[in-house]
Amino acid sequence: MGITLHDVTKYFGPDLVLDGINDEVPNGSMTALLGPSGSGKSTLLRIIAGLNTLDGGHVEINGVDVSNVPARKRRIGFCFQDYAPFRHLSVAGNVAYGLKVQGVARAQRRKEVDDLLSLVRLETFADRYPHQLSGGQRQRMALARALAVKPDVLLLDEPFAALDAQVRSELRSWVRSLQREVGITTILVTHDQSEAMEVADRLVIMNAGKIEQVGRPDDVYDAPATDFVRRFLGPVTTLDDVEYRPHELTLAPIDEAGLDAMIIDVVRLGFEVRVVLVRPDGTTPWVQLTHDEAQMRDPQIGESVRIQVRPPLRPSAVLLEA
Amino acid sequence: MKRRSTRPRAAAGTLSVRIIVLIYVGVLVGAPIVFVFQQTFAPGWHALLSAIQDPQMDFALGLTAKVAAVAVPLNVIFGVGASLWIVRHPSRFTRVLDTLIDIPLAVSPIIIGLMLELTYASNGWFGSSLAKLGWQIIFSFWGLVLCSAFVSLPLVSRQVVPLLREVGTHQEQTAATLGAGPVRIFFTITMRSISWATAYGVTLTLARVIGEYGAVLIVSGNIAFVTQTLTLDIGENFDSQNSYQGFVGASVLMAVSLVVLIFLGIARNRERRRSGYHAA
Repeated sequence: MGITLHDVTKYFGPDLVLDGINDEVPNGSMTALLGPSGSGKSTLLRIIAGLNTLDGGHVEINGVDVSNVPARKRRIGFCFQDYAPFRHLSVAGNVAYGLKVQGVARAQRRKEVDDLLSLVRLETFADRYPHQLSGGQRQRMALARALAVKPDVLLLDEPFAALDAQVRSELRSWVRSLQREVGITTILVTHDQSEAMEVADRLVIMNAGKIEQVGRPDDVYDAPATDFVRRFLGPVTTLDDVEYRPHELTLAPIDEAGLDAMIIDVVRLGFEVRVVLVRPDGTTPWVQLTHDEAQMRDPQIGESVRIQVRPPLRPSAVLLEA
Repeated sequence: MKRRSTRPRAAAGTLSVRIIVLIYVGVLVGAPIVFVFQQTFAPGWHALLSAIQDPQMDFALGLTAKVAAVAVPLNVIFGVGASLWIVRHPSRFTRVLDTLIDIPLAVSPIIIGLMLELTYASNGWFGSSLAKLGWQIIFSFWGLVLCSAFVSLPLVSRQVVPLLREVGTHQEQTAATLGAGPVRIFFTITMRSISWATAYGVTLTLARVIGEYGAVLIVSGNIAFVTQTLTLDIGENFDSQNSYQGFVGASVLMAVSLVVLIFLGIARNRERRRSGYHAA
């Protein structure tokens, strides 16, 4: 059950944009398709929705091959980045649209719309028009509209990209709790790794039309399968040609074991403190200390130190699937 | 949308620009309109009543209405269809189409009339084949329809194309994911999105069709009680020193246009206030 992708392949003209994608999206999960622009993630989402055709492979939703089923019969909910509000309809009219298509009787329709509007906290906005709503309200309206037809799958294309930072972080946690409440299998597309890790319980990291790695956010972060994934998911720094996360490194006094380095900059970002160093070979790795560590060590510019790799705190992570 | 309660006072420069604009519009549009209505109403209600009952004018008015009733819907269907094609499936062909549609605006109506006559007259290039089938186009009702549709060809699509581009396809695709079929999407989403642009295009088309003179003069043959439209009737009255009847005809035409424009203006404002939708 859930969504199964078999060798999904797509060309735009001569360009191969999806190169044999295979994945199994479990029922009820919140999966993020994560990748840089041009990685094919949005195209993959549109193919799952039936808004784009595929050139090879097939897509199954709940065990049924829907490759040749038009979007309107796939029982999916789709939200565009711009929310695509029906501008000539009120908020209630937008949410009711799918119910009307399904032929739900007026009284029943009104009740369901009311329920959905309270689910997305827009009860008092039923008679407003989309241009009278803020970006976040429009997005909630679009979600309610998509959920109205009780789809099997919810597909969100860059759902937070058009919002300002404050609203974005509010909506992220709200969408996450909404998804858990409704329990609907959800796929969201994003290019923002922190958004993906915050919202999703499962990451599919894509690059150049291929899947690089699939797994739980923690596992993918701690055990990246490729250099691309490591770099894409978080900061890296290079020490003797080996890439580390800056928080995997720490500083020690000059009389302890470790690699020689001199501090050339200290950047304090609240909880995080970045210490930039220069090595005798001229490379400039950096080390991430916590606020408390920095308080105790008090790193000074010009100070000679040793760089150490922190011992792992727990057994190495188990990958779900590479 | 709330109006600002206080407005900044116009600077002297702005004020003089406004005065110039008002004078310009007054000289170009206002004065002739006032003059025509003044000439119409000056001789009193009796003269006006009998002039309005002139059978030749009434026939011409009826014919104009019939031509408009056929030509306007034809051009709305064509204009919306062509706009969808140009915007949604752009190709080298649609770029040519886009340019061709504009020709009626660029070419003088007299030339259009001649072009149509030479092509569709019963001894003409294409008309001779139609004549063999028993279809007479020139000097007939259908010639008037053809000619009216031709001169107003771009007026709908010029309004609809830009809006269609701006609206995009996301609303339609969303409707599809909500279960709507193509026909429902067309009528509940696409047409609703472009309804005001279309209505404005219809108004312009209607104004052009009922007001057309040059092309219609040539194609119709200007036969009273057969192919004489209201504009031709007005022209004939002025030519034959029967100018009062001409002023009455002109007032009738103008009244129709004003009513349509006022209606459109009110409806548009309402829609804008309701949904924040910017009509053309």
